[in-house]
Amino acid sequence: MSLFRILAYFLGEALVSLWRSWRVSLLAIMTIAMSILIGGTFLLLSGNLSRVVENWRQEAKVIVYLQSSAAASDLDRVRALSSQPAWVSSVHEVSGSEASLRFRETFPSVQDVLKSWENEPLPASLEVGFDLSQASNEVFESWLETLRSDPAVIMVDEDRDWLRQLDAFIGILRGVGAVVGLALLGAAVITIGSVIRLTAYLYRDEIAVMRLVGATELYIRGPFFFEGLIQGLLGGLLAVLGLYLGFLGVNPKGSTILLGTVLVDRFLPWQTILALLGVATLAGCLGAVLSLRREDLTAE
Amino acid sequence: MRDVSFKLEPGAFAFLRGASGAGKSTLLKLIYRELEPSSGQVLVNGRNVALIPRKKVPFLRRTIGVVFQDFRLIPRRTIFENIGYLPRILGVGLPERKRLAYQTLRRVGLAHRMNSLPLQLSGGEQQRVAIARALINQPEILIADEPTGNLDPELSWEIMRLFVEINGKGTTVLLATHDPSFVQAVGGRVLSLDRGRLVGDKVVERQSRLVSISVVDPVASDQEADAGEPSS
Repeated sequence: MSLFRILAYFLGEALVSLWRSWRVSLLAIMTIAMSILIGGTFLLLSGNLSRVVENWRQEAKVIVYLQSSAAASDLDRVRALSSQPAWVSSVHEVSGSEASLRFRETFPSVQDVLKSWENEPLPASLEVGFDLSQASNEVFESWLETLRSDPAVIMVDEDRDWLRQLDAFIGILRGVGAVVGLALLGAAVITIGSVIRLTAYLYRDEIAVMRLVGATELYIRGPFFFEGLIQGLLGGLLAVLGLYLGFLGVNPKGSTILLGTVLVDRFLPWQTILALLGVATLAGCLGAVLSLRREDLTAE
Repeated sequence: MRDVSFKLEPGAFAFLRGASGAGKSTLLKLIYRELEPSSGQVLVNGRNVALIPRKKVPFLRRTIGVVFQDFRLIPRRTIFENIGYLPRILGVGLPERKRLAYQTLRRVGLAHRMNSLPLQLSGGEQQRVAIARALINQPEILIADEPTGNLDPELSWEIMRLFVEINGKGTTVLLATHDPSFVQAVGGRVLSLDRGRLVGDKVVERQSRLVSISVVDPVASDQEADAGEPSS
């Protein structure tokens, strides 16, 4: 018998079996869909967040806030100190009035607060762009310390701390996603295995007849493996579809909400989608393999 | 079972007699390797079936047709699907499977019920389908375990005639029964079992009037006259 005919036989028998016991099959499909959906959601969020953090990392700056009472020579010294290292890529000076303007643009609802303050409520600052790959951490810290200790400097603010925190958060997100996804995948494997074992039990008389007329184990078990495979694949497809619909729902065109613009800005890459479908299909096969011990297929 | 030794020549018709629990079904199961003997040998065509690797047992069973008292048809599948299962897994294409099924069902007089479900048939018809299933791969040996046990007397004789007819075409038949009337009417070799032992081995003359009767399916005959090919 040609491989094509064998596969066609397995597929045909598996589809008939799925159709006959569609309720329990649907349960198995939904279980695997749920596990892939949750795992995929974590992947989608962490992937987008990683991309955002990477962008922020590239745009990270050190902000040096200057004393408004400082002498011009002191300010020149700070400017020179700020732009001195080779790994500093840009230095942009922001005046107090420009800082106030930015504040008003960023927080329009509280701009009146500034009116009650003095004419120049916010200090001037230097925005220093840098390429951290060019400097060691120790050199960078030493440079920051020098700036902080300068009497013309009020404070030095830098993005690395919260970028590190975001990195840690992404790591936790991925870890939780992996643990939850794996746990649900395990549940899905068990569910599919149970459904297939139940199907095999329901068809045990049929299986006994097949054995009697000379069917090999390949022909008896093959359709069940295909059944698990189809259940896994359908569950995976359902999960990806649900994930995409959820993505479209959260991120409609022109959305300005944080979740839409930042956390789910881009859908999963096709490689990840294929991987999710592969995992779902393998989980289905695994459920079938684990459930089909010989004694399960033996009639009373 | 113990102290059971006999040999059946090709083309023989033999009854396996004995009361319930005498070991008839056990002996048959040993032949088609549903059970393995703890000692001794069961040779089918000179091959010790106990030594056949588990994976190769299906190939033994393809050479032995088996018929049971309870028919063991798959209720969810049509008659064609039931009897066409073995050809299907042997890679026979659909048109050829239909031709084979038609020819085999015609032998048992049921060519017109190819698309029916088993439960739409009478007990006698279901048993004839089970015989057709056993015959479709043209086995050299046909084993029947109380094939008339669930049938009324008239249907039982019909089935018995069918076995005689099949045997007449060269198939070795080994038939387990506890009904002595069949043995008297059909004749042949009679192996008697009692509590797992072979206690008798004799030959009974066949009554010729039984052999001359054959089952004819009127619908199939008409179709054969018209075209000679299946229409399903």
